Amino acid sequence: MTCWRARAGGGGGSEPVVTTPFYPEDPKPGTILAVGTRSRGGRIELVSAPRPGEPTMRWQSQANSIDGIEKELVRIWAQPSAVAAVGGGGPDATGDADAPRGRHVAARTSVMNLVVIARHPELGERAGETINRLSGRHPSRTLVVLAADPDGPPWLEGRVQAYCILPRADAPETCSEQIFLTAGGETGRHLAALVTPLLVHDLPVTVWWPGEPPLESAAARDLLAVSDRLVVDGASWAGDGLARLRDLAETDARFDRLAIRDFALVRQSRWREAIATVFDLPEFLPYLGHLRRISVTYATRDETGAPGTTNVVKPLYHVAWLASRLGMRVTAPLAPVAAARQAKLRPGEKAPLHRGLSARLRSATGEVSVVMRPVASPMPAGTTLRIELLAERRGQELRADVTAEAENVHVHTWLDGVEAEDRTFRAPRRNDVDLLGEILEGNGHDRVGDEALRLAANLAGSASQPGRVHPD
Amino acid sequence: MVKAKTGAAETAAPAAPAPSAPAAPAPSKKDAPRTMRDLRLAAETRRRVSTAKQLDNPLREGLRLERVPDANVFVLFGATGDLAHRKVVPALYQLWRTHLLPHEFVIVAVGRRAYTDEAIRAELRASLDQFSRVQPVDEEAWAELAERIVYHRGDFNDPALYSSLGERLDDMDAQRGTRGNRLYYLATQASAFAEIISQLGRAGLDHERHDGGWRRVIIEKPFGRDLDSAVRLNREVGKVFRERQVYRIDHYLGKETVRNLLVFRFGNGIFEPIWNRRHIDHVQITVAESIGIEARGAFYEETGASRDFLQNHLLQLLSLVGMEPPATFGADALRDEKVKVLRAITPFTPDQARSEVVRGQYGPGWVSGKPVAAYRDEPNVDPVSETETFIAARFTIDNWRWSGVPFYLRMGKRLPKRATEIAIQFKEVPHQLFRDSAADPEPNLLAMRIQPDEGIMLRFGAKVPGLGIDVRNVTMDFTYGSAFQTDSPDAYETLILDALLGDASLFTRADEVEQAWSIVDPVINAWADEPAPAFPSYEAGTWGPEAADDLLAREGRRWRRI
Repeated sequence: MTCWRARAGGGGGSEPVVTTPFYPEDPKPGTILAVGTRSRGGRIELVSAPRPGEPTMRWQSQANSIDGIEKELVRIWAQPSAVAAVGGGGPDATGDADAPRGRHVAARTSVMNLVVIARHPELGERAGETINRLSGRHPSRTLVVLAADPDGPPWLEGRVQAYCILPRADAPETCSEQIFLTAGGETGRHLAALVTPLLVHDLPVTVWWPGEPPLESAAARDLLAVSDRLVVDGASWAGDGLARLRDLAETDARFDRLAIRDFALVRQSRWREAIATVFDLPEFLPYLGHLRRISVTYATRDETGAPGTTNVVKPLYHVAWLASRLGMRVTAPLAPVAAARQAKLRPGEKAPLHRGLSARLRSATGEVSVVMRPVASPMPAGTTLRIELLAERRGQELRADVTAEAENVHVHTWLDGVEAEDRTFRAPRRNDVDLLGEILEGNGHDRVGDEALRLAANLAGSASQPGRVHPD
Repeated sequence: MVKAKTGAAETAAPAAPAPSAPAAPAPSKKDAPRTMRDLRLAAETRRRVSTAKQLDNPLREGLRLERVPDANVFVLFGATGDLAHRKVVPALYQLWRTHLLPHEFVIVAVGRRAYTDEAIRAELRASLDQFSRVQPVDEEAWAELAERIVYHRGDFNDPALYSSLGERLDDMDAQRGTRGNRLYYLATQASAFAEIISQLGRAGLDHERHDGGWRRVIIEKPFGRDLDSAVRLNREVGKVFRERQVYRIDHYLGKETVRNLLVFRFGNGIFEPIWNRRHIDHVQITVAESIGIEARGAFYEETGASRDFLQNHLLQLLSLVGMEPPATFGADALRDEKVKVLRAITPFTPDQARSEVVRGQYGPGWVSGKPVAAYRDEPNVDPVSETETFIAARFTIDNWRWSGVPFYLRMGKRLPKRATEIAIQFKEVPHQLFRDSAADPEPNLLAMRIQPDEGIMLRFGAKVPGLGIDVRNVTMDFTYGSAFQTDSPDAYETLILDALLGDASLFTRADEVEQAWSIVDPVINAWADEPAPAFPSYEAGTWGPEAADDLLAREGRRWRRI
């Protein structure tokens, strides 16, 4: 612990530290006059009473070692009214000299530890913001870890903040802590050593790793070994995302205790709902065992649409979810579809888009062909535009066509070419706050998600066949 | 089929050779063929049953949390009334805003007054400003919902209303794809319930169709005003709807803490073993209101605390505290257990009604620093009214678990503050070790607050730091506000969504309502035989008449200070 080198803040000065308002993008943050009275920050007095449901920062201080951060965490709660003092007064003012118009008693709460590993400061700030918005439903001790200057000398800088929220105007205020750690040099490579001492004990640990998690690195393995849940966003990975998807499935197989959730997969729940509904009809259900073709169309910005350039994790998850639910296995993993022979392009004419990827699955009743085809679209690259299912049973053909339409998912079904059903499902776009919230809500392993991930990795060419079965 | 299954289970165990099990009796030869056949038949039945179930859709697995109700038409009777504006429509708006309602959804607002679609939308929108739980109102979400609201005018007694309504609903199915599913919500005066229901039946609007269109009806409280009228109303409802189509609202059951009571009792292993007469001394259930009757004088004159609260909310809370663990969380398993509790309460004899029940009525006084009028001086109240605004009662549940444990229930208007709480008082320690301590250690207490600050509190003794041994009572406090910082959904949101999803767990069943009336009826009848009570009997802003304190004091107990 002695090797930390002080970076900022310094040691024993006693001049007040003035911090800036912490919600620069919030148009009406309820003017915050942030004055720390201790050597390294401290309580932040609010000029006006906080508004219900809006998190406000009520404490900020700094430290340059894990020990120091631990001491700061204790200090926040050492003074009972420290973060509770609220300007504006109330009918039951306490009259305490330190908190002359104190009104709400602050209570500290945590239901989990949330660790965010961020590659860039902006990513960390954004994640902190997302988590803040969730603190109402999922109060947690949050650690945002940033590795900086990997080749420099080892150092550590910690910023400790307490955020409080009034659930209602007449309720006591509740608070939780956020710790921003910036680790330089060698220190940044020992994530587990940084994180473990700062966790609230006995509470589950969720690691949110936005961007590109280096899942195969020693640092990641050490950290994941002490975690209960890993949250990633497969749709944000570089290239087609398939290599990292295989790593993710391997990580899932390696750690028994670790539950893996991918935003890309969670995001699709309303699509899955819509698809499932088609087969709620008893007359259509039998066709599920006789799927012959699954084709997914996704948006691309790339002019050629050639495989490898557009992230295909989302469209792949659709196929993988269907295949894993229906007990199919992969007989031929995804491979680029051979381009058709093509006439010479005339000058000014664009080459047609690549025909995408294809794969083959096997179900109990036969072969199922899979096609994932890019389409030039203004939608974000990698967005699923359409899923078509084709099933044949006893000479009859069922076709289901699922498309996204603004905020809705549209399902259209035909039996032998005759329209059978036409339904719309509300599928509002969900942001990171909604998705993380939904993920944190569930606990334990998500068997359906795990199986979909495993099958997706198999489709992406991972050799390992499904083997591990979760104890639950 | 049950027999077959048992047979299968019995033979399955010894059939597997378990080396550790010493000499399990082998099935006799005579038994073997019969049980094999049983096994096969059981398996066959299982197969037959399972193909019929919708759950067999393998794509459904893991999607359960996402469930959104089927496409449906929500027919709101009494749409221009207070309840619709205050509770029902704000709850529907909130459900819509949070994407819990289906895309194919229509609200048909039925009322007597002349309105256009636009007018009713504008009026409902205006009341959202006042009554929506989340402000400001999301205009975009409201606009989407508003275009799904249509007005249908008619007199509830007029058969023409129902035939035109039927045609309109069929049109909806065609135009808006609502697939024949209908929920009728009766937010009207209680006196209109029977009429509307029988008219719905006459017009054939109750028939569930073969292709899956469901019909459900939500009936608001009060459900009857005594046992007779409740039985009569149940009979009227039963002529038209089957019990599984009927959802009787008691909004207390939709409250977060009340639902949490079930989680608390049956989701935690440590409480159930002590949840009985061996460990619990008594139970107190308090519903205190600081408000008076709020300009509802005429209504309150006819109901009083016994009908307004005791028959429904208080007895519901009592049965949730006292019930046995249900086998499943299914609607009927749950309600079976609740009814059993009510059945175990022996109705009072007239003598008992006098000794075990205390009624009161508030006189003038001060509440929250303001002077308030006596009940008899409220508008639309008889100046010599004998209606009770306070009731306290001592019940016993005569079963194995609760024999000898009194349940004290009280409810009052114009009490010092608004608080709803269930307190479980545990028995004293069998042997007092710390007699020399400055304060006697009090027995443990578990309190569940339902409002205003929903939460759970456990009181236990702790040593005061320092030399010597002094015991003080300390509390371990859990407030919903501190563990979960968001607001809980309103009871109506929970209940309406449940009804749309077809889950009747939180609604009261016919036999439950009747059973509750059969407990309250003897009390009301006993009062009728008595001379006029000496009302007012408590000052507004106090904890009710002294007789209520005596009810506990005579057994050496007292009401918990709240």
